[in-house]
Amino acid sequence: MWGLDIRRSLLQAQSLALALTSTLMMYSALGLVMNCKSPIVVVLSGSMEPGIYRGDLLFLSNYEPRDYKLGDITVYQVEDEAAVSIVHRVVQTEVGESPLSFRILTKGDNNEVDDISLYRGLERLERKHVVGRVRGIIPYVGYVSILFNEYPRVKYTVFGLMALLNLA
Amino acid sequence: MARKKTANGAAQDISTATTSTDSIPSPPSPDRPPGPLSLPPLPGPREVVKVNNYSTTELKNACDDAVKRYLSRPELFQQNHQHTDVRLALGWLSVFVAGGTGLYGYKVEFEQSKPVVWVGLILYMLLTFTQTLYSYFIEGDIVFVGKRKTFSKRIITERITLSSRTIPVSSSSSNSTPITPPQYSLSLSYVRSTSANKSLLAKGKTQARAPYSRFFDAEGGMDGDAFERWVGEVVEEGMGGLPASKES
Repeated sequence: MWGLDIRRSLLQAQSLALALTSTLMMYSALGLVMNCKSPIVVVLSGSMEPGIYRGDLLFLSNYEPRDYKLGDITVYQVEDEAAVSIVHRVVQTEVGESPLSFRILTKGDNNEVDDISLYRGLERLERKHVVGRVRGIIPYVGYVSILFNEYPRVKYTVFGLMALLNLA
Repeated sequence: MARKKTANGAAQDISTATTSTDSIPSPPSPDRPPGPLSLPPLPGPREVVKVNNYSTTELKNACDDAVKRYLSRPELFQQNHQHTDVRLALGWLSVFVAGGTGLYGYKVEFEQSKPVVWVGLILYMLLTFTQTLYSYFIEGDIVFVGKRKTFSKRIITERITLSSRTIPVSSSSSNSTPITPPQYSLSLSYVRSTSANKSLLAKGKTQARAPYSRFFDAEGGMDGDAFERWVGEVVEEGMGGLPASKES
């Protein structure tokens, strides 16, 4: 009878694994379609209030033409090591000698000064620094992700409970 | 063994509606291999199965499991796991493809990783789609596929396939007609032939249904004996009637 039992356990484990992988694959598909390495991000600071608050979920897009205009809300990363993403608004654009060279200056709506101090020595941002443009916002939902990152124990307990409930 | 009272003890016992179609009468007893009812029940206490009475999915799964365990006893049929194995293989392969793609996309920078992630994504979708098609069209309602070889004068091969589904509660528009409780419908097709299928000895198709309330009590505990007896009767009918020498 062990053949039956092994197969049944494998099938149960498989249904759980498929639920996880389908979420992962949907996220990857969204990233590919939007041409954006993180198509869904959570806002961590309040520098864009009152439009965007801490804990909001943002949907980004980065497909061609990536012409970020004045007034667009963009998410950018300055250096890869730190990998801190900042979501601020474009307040100044410059087109250089060729259409490909394109520089922007950003500033948070709730900040007094623009972001030059955050650029780590750069004068302006280039297209390669921009992760994407904000397309949609869902408020409050991102707080779950903030909780999980600041209190890892909460994450482990929640996922452990979900796994147990699925198997029982 | 104490018998638990069924929840609808007072309700009338809905008799099993059996329809036998397409059966070739079986030859006299010596040629007929033993059916499941002729086997003594397994010694020792039975494992208690408890399900949620309100979920027909759990009821059906408990019954399907009991059918598989009952019919794959060593003296009875040897189960053919092909459908389950294909499902497991396709499913786990797609899990590993997804895991590999996710890991690759995490390690390698986005622009570089795009072609590989596209390939992984399309492969994952193909695999899950194939698995769904297989389950729906080829596996369908089948819960047990079995084979048995017995030797009496010549080698007799039997093949049996069982499928099951739940017949849901039928809601009737007028208030006067009684509503039938959810039922378990078991369909069976059986072939008996000499080895290498040289000549056909018996063939039968049977279908039977019984309300779940007959096998599950009010707390959700399953009466395994009653269920096995009912399954045994259906199988024996599919095999071509009860043998003349059966002691009741």
